[in-house]
Amino acid sequence: MCPDRHLISAYLDGEIESPWDKAVAEHLASCQSCRLLYNKLAEASRALREEPLADWRAPMERVHLALRSRTPPRQSQTSVWERRVSVPLPLAALAAALVLFLGVTFVATQLRPKIGLVRITKAPAGGTEIQISAPISELETLLKSVGAEDSTREDVILLPKNVRLLPVGEPRMGKAAEFPKVKTW
Amino acid sequence: MRRGVVAAPLLLVLAALGAHPEDREPDPKDALQSLLSNALQVTIAARVLPADEKPIWNALSTKLTLPGQSIRVRMDGENVRIYLVCTPYVQDNGEVLLLAQGQVWFAAPTENEVKYSSTFSSIPVSFGEVVLFFPLGISDQGATQKGILNVEVEIKIVPYKQPQPEQQ
Repeated sequence: MCPDRHLISAYLDGEIESPWDKAVAEHLASCQSCRLLYNKLAEASRALREEPLADWRAPMERVHLALRSRTPPRQSQTSVWERRVSVPLPLAALAAALVLFLGVTFVATQLRPKIGLVRITKAPAGGTEIQISAPISELETLLKSVGAEDSTREDVILLPKNVRLLPVGEPRMGKAAEFPKVKTW
Repeated sequence: MRRGVVAAPLLLVLAALGAHPEDREPDPKDALQSLLSNALQVTIAARVLPADEKPIWNALSTKLTLPGQSIRVRMDGENVRIYLVCTPYVQDNGEVLLLAQGQVWFAAPTENEVKYSSTFSSIPVSFGEVVLFFPLGISDQGATQKGILNVEVEIKIVPYKQPQPEQQ
């Protein structure tokens, strides 16, 4: 029985260990077809080892050239910040003045004294405007103090003693004209 | 040309520095004067009166306030306590909107309980117009009960007038 083609290739490469390599060698000596196969494999192996590799750089360069020829050439773009813009001198001066004005206004706004809680201004028409300006925390405190009952001083009127006061109905309130002149109860 | 370019920013800076007259701190005297020019004088007159008769007792309370600021008056009797809270608002047309809240605590002499009633009204009035408050109610039946007294509270709002300085 002839050995496998892969076994002969392994024998050629020296990968068959003893004592199996001797058995393969004896078979090759007695078998004509296996010897022919061995010789072919040996010839191919020698050819691969001895022939120089083909130069692949020239085909690679041709592929690169073909790829470059298909890609559209990139246009050289100048950045917006690098473009030169010609501005008339009066316009440039006006822009500089505007920047200066805004800067000074900002600084003056930041440096001016803080507005108090209450600002009173007189309108041109003669009216007086009272503005309350405060941070949220202080405004809440202010509103609480305004809304608190304790913040309003209470006047006390002592009604006369030894008088018999009896309610005759629900409390009523309104303009004097709404009530009859002669009150009865 | 160059002078104009230099002068323009300077003028703008000067304008910016001088463009905040409202930021100046108000003079305290001006502030007080402004407050007093807006002040309101609220007169509250309490009367105790029998039916169809002249008051047998009266008391007067005059208070100064600002629009939107409440004033509170408490009337204490032997078996009744009356709270009156008045908040005047001056409207754009110069009229006054009076928000008035009345509360009455009444201890009935024969019953072992305390009754509570309250009323709340928003009344547009002119300066000097009289608003009446009857904390113990007013009888619509025209019944006259001899010996029983009622309480009438009169509210009047006028602009505060500053006293003129004495001339020497």
